[in-house]
Amino acid sequence: MLLAVLVANSEGNILVERFNGVPAEERLHWRSFLVKLGADNLKGVKNEELLVASHKSVYIVYTVLGDVSIFVVGKDEYDELALSEAIFVITSAVKDVCGKVPTERLFLDKYGKICLCLDEIVWKGLLENTDKDRIKRLVRLKPPTEF
Amino acid sequence: MAQPLLKKDDDRDDEMEYSPFLGIEKGAVLQEARVFNDPQLDPRRCSQVITKLLYLLNQGETFTKIEATEVFFAVTKLFQSKDVGLRRMVYLMIKELSPSADEVIIVTSSLMKDMNSRTDMYRANAIRVLCRITDGTLLTQIERYLKQAIVDKNPVVASASLVSGIHLLQTNPEIVKRWSNEVQEAVQSRAALVQFHALGLLHQIRQNDRLAVSKLVTSLTRGTVRSPLAQCLLIRYTSQVIRESGMNNQTGERPFYDYLEGCLRHKAEMVIFEAARAITELSGVTSRELNPAITVLQLFLSSSKPVLRFAAVRTLNKVAMTHATAVTNCNIDMESLISDQNRSIATLAITTLLKTGNESSVDRLMKQITNFMSDIADEFKIVVVDAIRSLCLKFPLKYRSLMNFLSNILREEGGFDYKKAIVDSIVILIRDIPDAKESGLLHLCEFIEDCEFTYLSTQILHFLGNEGPKTSDPSKYIRYIYNRVILENATVRAAAVSTLAKFGATVDSLKPRIFILLKRCLFDNDDEVRDRATLYLNTLGGDGSVVETDSAMKEFLFGSFDIPLANMETSLKNYIQEPSEEPFDIDSVPKEVKSQPLAEKKAPGKKPTGLGAPPSAPTSAADAYEKLLLSIPEFASFGKLFKSSAPVELTEAETEYAVNVVKHIFDNHVVFQYNCTNTIPEQLLENVVVVVDASEAEEFSEIASKPLRSLSYDSPGQTFVAFGKPEGVPAVGKFSNMLRFIVKEVDPSTGEAEEDGVEDEYQLEDLEVVAADYILKVGVSNFKNAWESMGPDCERVDEYGLGPRESLTEAVNAVISLLGMQPCEGTEVVASNSRSHTCLLSGVYIGNVKVLVRLSFGIDGQKEFAMKLAVRSEDESVSDAIHEIVASG
Repeated sequence: MLLAVLVANSEGNILVERFNGVPAEERLHWRSFLVKLGADNLKGVKNEELLVASHKSVYIVYTVLGDVSIFVVGKDEYDELALSEAIFVITSAVKDVCGKVPTERLFLDKYGKICLCLDEIVWKGLLENTDKDRIKRLVRLKPPTEF
Repeated sequence: MAQPLLKKDDDRDDEMEYSPFLGIEKGAVLQEARVFNDPQLDPRRCSQVITKLLYLLNQGETFTKIEATEVFFAVTKLFQSKDVGLRRMVYLMIKELSPSADEVIIVTSSLMKDMNSRTDMYRANAIRVLCRITDGTLLTQIERYLKQAIVDKNPVVASASLVSGIHLLQTNPEIVKRWSNEVQEAVQSRAALVQFHALGLLHQIRQNDRLAVSKLVTSLTRGTVRSPLAQCLLIRYTSQVIRESGMNNQTGERPFYDYLEGCLRHKAEMVIFEAARAITELSGVTSRELNPAITVLQLFLSSSKPVLRFAAVRTLNKVAMTHATAVTNCNIDMESLISDQNRSIATLAITTLLKTGNESSVDRLMKQITNFMSDIADEFKIVVVDAIRSLCLKFPLKYRSLMNFLSNILREEGGFDYKKAIVDSIVILIRDIPDAKESGLLHLCEFIEDCEFTYLSTQILHFLGNEGPKTSDPSKYIRYIYNRVILENATVRAAAVSTLAKFGATVDSLKPRIFILLKRCLFDNDDEVRDRATLYLNTLGGDGSVVETDSAMKEFLFGSFDIPLANMETSLKNYIQEPSEEPFDIDSVPKEVKSQPLAEKKAPGKKPTGLGAPPSAPTSAADAYEKLLLSIPEFASFGKLFKSSAPVELTEAETEYAVNVVKHIFDNHVVFQYNCTNTIPEQLLENVVVVVDASEAEEFSEIASKPLRSLSYDSPGQTFVAFGKPEGVPAVGKFSNMLRFIVKEVDPSTGEAEEDGVEDEYQLEDLEVVAADYILKVGVSNFKNAWESMGPDCERVDEYGLGPRESLTEAVNAVISLLGMQPCEGTEVVASNSRSHTCLLSGVYIGNVKVLVRLSFGIDGQKEFAMKLAVRSEDESVSDAIHEIVASG
């Protein structure tokens, strides 16, 4: 299960937070844990360089993209490798929507589109689409090109 | 998280001044949402408002029920717009709002229309939304469309319905299971993602059918799997099949190993990795099997991608626990990972090296770790400390450098857990390596000179009191201990006083000086410290009023407190509640560890009764079982418990795991309660389940299984499996049982289990549900009266030949146990040398029908036994059923 996708700005404020199968009372804990993890480790990291951590049986893969940091959390079949696949799709889709590596402003400007992309990528904790070009078409309700 | 490497945009300062969501406020956005009701919809404006709503929701904002309903109704109006972008937003918004069951109906018709739309993408999205908000009844209406969609030409539509299927399987398994033909077809799809989703769903549908999973794996491993993600799934399912099938006995080869090995050469890294991990996790893996996997993992260690390095070192770390030598080849690569920027990778590398290193490399390794320790977090440091402790126990000759390392890190900054891990390690090393004792104790003494944790100080003082007096020069520790009396808080001072007393009691030469120190403690401003000092002075001073002999004194000081604290607490509470003239007598506290009765453990809010309080009326085992079963939600709807059998042993005595089973009979259900005990102190079992094969019990179908989360050493636990059966019918059958669990190793010294466990199985004996399980043993006081009042209306009489038997007693007992009824008036006892016997039985048949049985046995000349069976009951079908049991038994 892909437990969470979280996007924060450089100050650690949450921009997008989507949990799947995480009890409401644990979400705040996860939020602060991830933000702290980012604050501790993401300084000076290059765009899209993946960092990885594990906490008990849960894996976290995270990265920085322009002004925003992106975290994905998973367990079981969503181990570090599956999560790196998921985060790769997310970063490519975000770059695609924003047209470049996003500033926070740009990210917020394209907020609606980004939400649609995330909806195409992760559906209730399962990875659904992995190709950015396809996702780009799907959010505009266009069928995929290969079809 | 600033981005120093990012090129600064010229207009960035302007951008920062204004965020589109600056000052966003829920109330205002909800007001704005009224635009959804405009007769002339402005799609752009509506999309903006939806974006704002999404932003609020994604920030963790919640809508009240009324707010959510209002927004939902307004959003449904947007189906009127033909704007494609807006429609996509509407789909997302409905999913985010997840309307309640009574509201869903508003959108179902619009969504059903979209689901049949000629625009593929409307179809895909409508499926996803419908499946998110639907309940079982609506699902049956749309099932036909979903099945079609699974084999839709458009891969997005197919994937949408397959992923929906995966979600719906949790809530409506019986419906989704009907789609297996379509899903099977989708597994062959040319679209990679469709194949991935279909494979996932198909396996979930068939996961309880081993044979089907095995067939699936066999066919797919021979065919082509396009998506690397699907390939990874297939590898996982393959390992599952391998686990369940074991070795091929004839060739000694492992089935599917060649497939896994072939995947090591796949072009996708994730597939290579998955295969390598699967190979390392094979049970009883040989080094020949392991080698190719280790080789690819070694290559990943020097990958430029941190995720791959992490994955590789994590797997090797696990392998090192069981096959340390196989990993030694990777040591050089792992040493270079100690300086990895990612601390998780570095820590895993170090702990792996500590497991695989040899005696000669310890010193070099410690040097590298010292540099590394200063810049990692406490949680990583604890892992390293644990690994160093194990290493030291493995190479006791190296204790000097390892102990030095531990004492150095003890002096550095760190939180409680970290310091506790170090102290615990030093204590264990002192206990296990005699040479390390003196230096270890001195390290601990130095630590308490500047220790901010009361718990650790008292723990060390206690340990020092036990071990210090036995050293060559006990006097050198006194200074450290007495410093505590001067400098610390009351708790530590009191512990220090006890420690001083232990030294005084053991080392005669120190006694006079200890006396002086203890006397000084009499002026302490804390009651406990003064009380202890007084007590010990009297004990050691020996006027005989406290203890009479030297050995009694030592027993008093060093003897362990053998009363469970819980018992002590209960007794003291009772004593306070009922004031009495008598002083509290510690001998009155029971010493046995009382485990709570099961029924009470499960019933919330019910506390065990106090020991001093009058014991509550003894509840029968049946009541306890009923309470226990009712407290489990899955079984609460089964109605009244009819009968619980006596426990049937499924393992032999003195095996690793002791399991017995109690059969609970309900009108429509049977629940097996497996009572499990783990008899291995070094193991912790988790997710314990009994996998029951009911192929020889055709009338039963498994409906629920309740696993046991964890089973620690010597504390019994239960797991349950429930079966449905035809109502009122005494269905019989044979069940084979397999105990399945994840086993974790437990460090016996600390009692802590390792994080990672291995799945394992344990074959149990078969279990039978027999006719007697459906009859309750209920006696009657006067059989003759009962027999006559029942009347001959429903009486059935017949005669049976029992064949040759050993004795009359044996024949009588065989029939009694076959029927499971209560013998009345002592008629189960056969007089010696008698050639005939009448036995009277009574009971209650399932459905609460009273049954009486009169058995007349006789023997003919050839030792052939015969029996006349007369049955009376309240229902003639029950009388017939009893005859059937005897006839088929």
